[in-house]
Amino acid sequence: MSTTNLVNTTDEIFPKQTNKTYALVELMRGDGPMVGKGPDGSVFSFPVVLLIEIILVLGVTLAVFLFSLLKQAPLEAIANPLVTTDPAKAPWYFVGLQELLEHMHPTVAGVLIPTALVLFLAVLPYVDRSRDGVGVWFTSLRGRRIAGWTALYTAVLMPAYILLDNAFSLRELLRNKTPEWVAQGLLPLAIIAVIVAVPALVLSRRKATPREVLIALFTVMIVSAVIFTLSGFFLRGPGFKMYLPWQMPNGYNPLNGL
Amino acid sequence: MSVQTHQNGSRWEFITQSRVWRSFFRHGWPDNPLDRSLVMTSNIFLHLHPVKVNRRSLHWSYTFGLGVIAVVLFGVLVFTGVLLMFYYVPSVERAYPALRNIEVSVPLGQFTRNMHRWSAHLMVLVAILHLIRVFYTGAYKSPREFNWLVGVGLLLLTLGASFTGYLLPWDQLSYWAITVGTNIAGYAPLIGNAVRGILLGGPEVGQDALIRFYTLHVALIPTLLVLGISIHLWRVRKDGGLAVNDSVTPAGEVPADEHVGGMQKTSEKS
Repeated sequence: MSTTNLVNTTDEIFPKQTNKTYALVELMRGDGPMVGKGPDGSVFSFPVVLLIEIILVLGVTLAVFLFSLLKQAPLEAIANPLVTTDPAKAPWYFVGLQELLEHMHPTVAGVLIPTALVLFLAVLPYVDRSRDGVGVWFTSLRGRRIAGWTALYTAVLMPAYILLDNAFSLRELLRNKTPEWVAQGLLPLAIIAVIVAVPALVLSRRKATPREVLIALFTVMIVSAVIFTLSGFFLRGPGFKMYLPWQMPNGYNPLNGL
Repeated sequence: MSVQTHQNGSRWEFITQSRVWRSFFRHGWPDNPLDRSLVMTSNIFLHLHPVKVNRRSLHWSYTFGLGVIAVVLFGVLVFTGVLLMFYYVPSVERAYPALRNIEVSVPLGQFTRNMHRWSAHLMVLVAILHLIRVFYTGAYKSPREFNWLVGVGLLLLTLGASFTGYLLPWDQLSYWAITVGTNIAGYAPLIGNAVRGILLGGPEVGQDALIRFYTLHVALIPTLLVLGISIHLWRVRKDGGLAVNDSVTPAGEVPADEHVGGMQKTSEKS
C-alpha cells in the first residue's frame, strides 16, 4: 500500500469514484460536527486532558516534595578563589564535555563538537523530509533494530575509547613526535568521526532512508553523551583521574556534587 | 432582590446568571459539546489546548507526559525561586550568609531550596528525555520543523537557567563548577575570551560574574523561557496536535508500533 493511503483514510472510507447508486446512511448518537469524515476517535479536551494535567501537576510536585524531605541540597564552604577543590567538576550536564576535554584539544572538545551537535539538532528536520512513520516510535521495526544495534555499538566503542585513551594517552605517546594539533586535535577527532560515520556508511550501503541514517546518528550522539557524562561524573576523582566510584581517595563522593 | 425571589432558580443559578459571573465566564457549565468547546477557547491558559484531542495522543507510552512534566517543573521552579529571592542577596559578601540564613533561620527555607535544586536537575533531565522522545517518534517532521527548533532553543535555555543558578550559592562547589564551565566557553578560537568575558564581566569569577548570572537567572532566562514555552505549546496546536494524530488509521484501532503492518491488513480486508 502506498504511503498516501496511510494518511488519507477518508477516501478509503468514503470512496469518491464509485459505481454504487445508493449510500448507506445511519443516524448515530454522538456529538461533534464530523459530517463526511471517518471515525476519528477524538475526545473533548475538557475534562480529560485537564484531569491528566492535574494528575501530572500533583504527581510531579509530590515526587519532588518527598525527595526534598529526604535529601538536602548541598552547601559546601564559602567560595574561595585561592583554594581549588579537587576534583573541580562542571555541573553534571556539562561533565560529559569535561570528560571529552581529557581526551582532546579544548577547541575540539569544548567548541567544535558541541557546535556540531547543536547544528545537527537544528538541521535534522530539514534533512529528513519524508512523512513516513510520523508519530510512530522508531518509524518501523527496521528503525527500532537500527536504534538498538547502534546503541549497542556505541555502548561498546565509546567506553573502549575512553579507557584506552586513559591507559595509553595519545597526548603522552605522541608528545614531541607530532605537533599538538595532530596528537590532540586531528587524531582524536578522526577517531570520533570514524566511530560516528561507520553506522551511517553501513546504512547508506543498505539503501537506508534519511530517517534511518538520522536514527543511527542521533543514537550515537545520545548514547555517547550518556557514556561521557557517566564517566566524567562517576569515574573521575581527585586530579580528574580515573577511579572506580567506590574506591575514590580522600572520601570523595561524586554524588555530593549534584 | 433576594435569593428566594429568584424565579425557578437555585442559589447556584442565581450566582451563575449574575452580571458579575457572566462578565468573568463566557460559557455555561461544560456538560455539552458547545460549552466544552467554549471552556477551552475562551480561557487564555486553556486555549493553548485544542478543543478536541485524539485518544491516541493520550496514550501514556507515546509521550510519557514528558513535555507537561517539564512545564510543571518550571512552575515549581518559578514558585520556589520567587520565595528564595525574598532572602537571597547577589553579593559576594552576603550571598553565602544568605544561603546559611535560608537553611537555618527561614521557616521551610532549607526545604524550599531543596525543592528548587532537585526540580532544576530534574527539569534538565526531563527536557533531554522529551527531546529524545520527540526524535524517535518522528514528531519533528513537517509541518513541525519549526517547533522542533523552538524546542532545541528551550533546551539550551534550560541548560542556561540551570548553569546560571549553579553559581548563586557562592560556595566552593558552585564557584569551581562555574570556573570549569566558563573555561570551556573560553576555549573557542578568536571569540572564546570575549564570550567568557561577557559572561563573567571580568577575568575570573567574582562580583561582576555573580550579578550577571543572577540577572540572567531571575529575569532574562525565565522571561525567554515563558515566551518560548508559550510559542512551543501554541505551535503544537497550530501544527495539528501531537504527531501521533497524523498516523491515525480508521478509528485508531492499530497500535502505533504496528502501524504499517496494520494498514496492510486493513487493505487486504477491503
